[in-house]
Amino acid sequence: MGITIRQATIDDIQAMQNCNLHNLPENYQLKYYMYHILSWPQASFVATTYETDLEGIDQDTISQPKADTAYIRPGEKVVGYVLGKMEDDPDAKDKTPHGHITSISVIRTYRRMGVAEKLMRQALFAMNESFNAQYVSLHVRKSNRAALHLYRDTLNFEVISIEKSYYQDGEDAYAMKKVLKREELEPYLFQKSDLVDDLSTDLLQEA
Amino acid sequence: DQTLKKNSNHAESLALKGCIFHFTGNKQEAEEYIHKALNKGEKNYLVNHLAGVYYRALENYQDAAKWFKATLDNGSPNKHLWRDLSNIQVHVRDYKNLKDSKQAYLEFQPGYRANWTGTAVALHLNKNYSGAVSTLSKIEDIIKDHLQEGDRYEQSECVLYKNSIIAEGGDVEKALEVLEKDDSEIRDRLAFLEYKAKYLYILDRKKEASLVYRELLKRNPDNVNYYLALDDALDLKTKPLETRLRVYEKLQAFYPLSDPPKFLPLCFLPANSPQFHDKAKEYVLSQLKRGVPSTFVNIKHLYKDAAKRDIIAKIVLDFHDNQAPSLAPTVVVWTKFFLTQHYLYLGDFEKANKFADEAISHSPTLVELYMLKARVLKHEHKIAEASQVMEEARKLDLQDRFVNSKSTKYLLRADQVDEAIDKISLFTKLDENAVNGCKDLHLMQVNWVILESAEAYTRLYHAYAKELASLESTNKEEEESEAEVELHEKVELYRGLAIKRYQAIVNIFKSWYNDLFDFHSYCLRRGTPRDYLQSLKWSDHLGATPIYPRAIEGLVSLYLELNEQISTSAEANLGDSSKTKKNNKKQKKARAQNLKKREELIAKVESVKNESDPLGTEFLKSLYSKECNILDLAFALVKPLTEEAQDNVITWRVAYEVYLKQGKYILALQAIKNLERILNPHKTKKLRSMAERVVRLNKACREDQTTNAAIIKVVEKGISTTYPDFNESDVPGFLKLYSH
Repeated sequence: MGITIRQATIDDIQAMQNCNLHNLPENYQLKYYMYHILSWPQASFVATTYETDLEGIDQDTISQPKADTAYIRPGEKVVGYVLGKMEDDPDAKDKTPHGHITSISVIRTYRRMGVAEKLMRQALFAMNESFNAQYVSLHVRKSNRAALHLYRDTLNFEVISIEKSYYQDGEDAYAMKKVLKREELEPYLFQKSDLVDDLSTDLLQEA
Repeated sequence: DQTLKKNSNHAESLALKGCIFHFTGNKQEAEEYIHKALNKGEKNYLVNHLAGVYYRALENYQDAAKWFKATLDNGSPNKHLWRDLSNIQVHVRDYKNLKDSKQAYLEFQPGYRANWTGTAVALHLNKNYSGAVSTLSKIEDIIKDHLQEGDRYEQSECVLYKNSIIAEGGDVEKALEVLEKDDSEIRDRLAFLEYKAKYLYILDRKKEASLVYRELLKRNPDNVNYYLALDDALDLKTKPLETRLRVYEKLQAFYPLSDPPKFLPLCFLPANSPQFHDKAKEYVLSQLKRGVPSTFVNIKHLYKDAAKRDIIAKIVLDFHDNQAPSLAPTVVVWTKFFLTQHYLYLGDFEKANKFADEAISHSPTLVELYMLKARVLKHEHKIAEASQVMEEARKLDLQDRFVNSKSTKYLLRADQVDEAIDKISLFTKLDENAVNGCKDLHLMQVNWVILESAEAYTRLYHAYAKELASLESTNKEEEESEAEVELHEKVELYRGLAIKRYQAIVNIFKSWYNDLFDFHSYCLRRGTPRDYLQSLKWSDHLGATPIYPRAIEGLVSLYLELNEQISTSAEANLGDSSKTKKNNKKQKKARAQNLKKREELIAKVESVKNESDPLGTEFLKSLYSKECNILDLAFALVKPLTEEAQDNVITWRVAYEVYLKQGKYILALQAIKNLERILNPHKTKKLRSMAERVVRLNKACREDQTTNAAIIKVVEKGISTTYPDFNESDVPGFLKLYSH
């Protein structure tokens, strides 16, 4: 079961909620996920497992989904998600269109594969392209060093301010922000490869 | 009130008062007043409107639709009601009438794009594709010169929506042509490219399609669907293996950090090819060296091919014995972690435990190792021990909710429900004075906990019922002993709680369906019709959500069991009516003593504050009553599954049991056929479980005096067509033949 990353749809929201409930203390009812998908369908992504046909192996039953809250379909389990939105508060001071990361998490046992970074890159790119987001903001727990590292060092977010007792349990949050420039966002740029597909080579030809 | 004093028959005031009662929480009087009002003023549109509002608030959408419609039919000048009516119609999936309401509202308010979109959606839902497209085109033409920056997103979505309908209507060529024409209107470039690639592929312009998929890969090199589509577009399955492999190697060179170009070749390469060995080795070892916790899970799918499984095992064992020890210590640990899972997969618990224990003594603070060890124990059915080890894992990382969730789950599996809820409450919101997070778990719709709780309560109920039965069989006294009284209470308590938790799942799914109500108008204003349509489909198939059938099966099993008990005890009581009454006195006494304990109990298990029936006792009592038809309740739960989750084994497994008990033998036969279709699609197996169902169906159908002859014939014929080996006079022989 490899991992695939794709735009989230309404079919995914129950499993996204499940992932959130397993990983984070900030939880939401399903309607809030509905609201995200039906307001900004392009802004949320999921990482899921998948199963493809194995050549030469016949399936002798119609495959069954595991009766587990993490599963959407047979072999398809949500292991991470990013829930994104555009700032829509009419009282907000800043009228520049900008996005916000409502929530992101990756199941513990699927870490160290760069899933969170990839989810974020997809969301940033999509918010900029579809909604013309000029920047994206988020909050992170002061104690969450792994996340802070991802946002600040890998994704180049900057800390804007510290919000005292932002979380229910009293912990402070860093408010962070990243200015978006379209030409810097395309996900292939972060593959650390010198080769870029210019679409002109014939993939079938011998090298 | 003043009007009513003057004229107690004033229908409008009665209806208004009904609504006021409803919204101030006086449900019973509300209903009375609404009924009275409708009696007096059935043709009064104000009364109709208030009745519509009332029923909508009750989430009784069928009646709400009826009265909103009556409001308009009886001459209400308020044309906005077409919108209210249409929202209700779409909610109850009355697409036929929806179309007219949307049309009427559009004629009333043509100045809003949302109303054009709404009409198009209604036409689309009625499969009138050309009507939907022309409606969307019309409004596009009207506003094309007046679009502001703020309208651009809606414009993009509506243009894409129109395009998807053209394609759905079957004219893909036209869809592609319009898509390219609308190129500059479309902001969602992902959708643009996905549509374009799909159309080109369908139109057999595969070379061009392949280039668009490559563009999509640049945008998202981690989406396996693009690789699979590219594979198809390049016809790679028909090409020599070397060519296919080369394509993936090139893609891997473009996208070295992405998984699919590395993993997919492992799926299509034959196990006996040298490339499989080398690629598998590279894939697995590079992950082990990086310490990727999911390395095993990532390749587990390949284990369905036994030859591939053996090759991978050999690679990792060899690595473990020879190479790993000279690398970083963490590499050894993750390799042992992998091998534990490997042997667990094979069911070799001895070796699985050996590697898990070695890993733990090597790195005693690594949480994942304990989590895995616990899983091994769970598979060995050492449930209590597993739970203890999972708790050790939790203690190593108190900040992490994931391991807390696992510890909770294992406690639930060990039937320690209270302890489990206490554990997870470390991460839930606590209401004031709440003893645990049980209410928050319900509020936040934490289905996995609610479902696992239901199953744990069911096990507790069964365990106590068993204990009680054995006690009763040894106690020949007339009077029930103290111990029996206590057990009796526990049996009913846990049974009630189990039903209650299962029912909570059913309620949550129902609330999700109704959550969508607000979006019927919202999405049209927002301009997100494509995802709105998907959400309608989603809510039509909520029953197919994998855990839903599991919950229904649990609940229906409890119902069927109860039904069985009631009918057998009714028979037994015909001869001995004193039996069930004999202990009333003592039970009452015991209950009084337990009052305080009961309060403490309620505080722990309440799903909302001041719940009316926190233990499910009243509901259970209502099930015992003569008026209640438990089989009807069970049927009502199963029916949606048979419509929404037709490919799920559980659906037909549980439907079969209900139909059989209801005496619906033809439906039971259909359930059997559906199970065969799912479990045995190539008709290569003779399944024992199916044969047993056939035998039970035949027996039940024959022994039922009320079945009419025609039905017996149909069932007989159906059985012999699907199971030609079936022979009523030689059931053991038939069962023997079906040994799979």
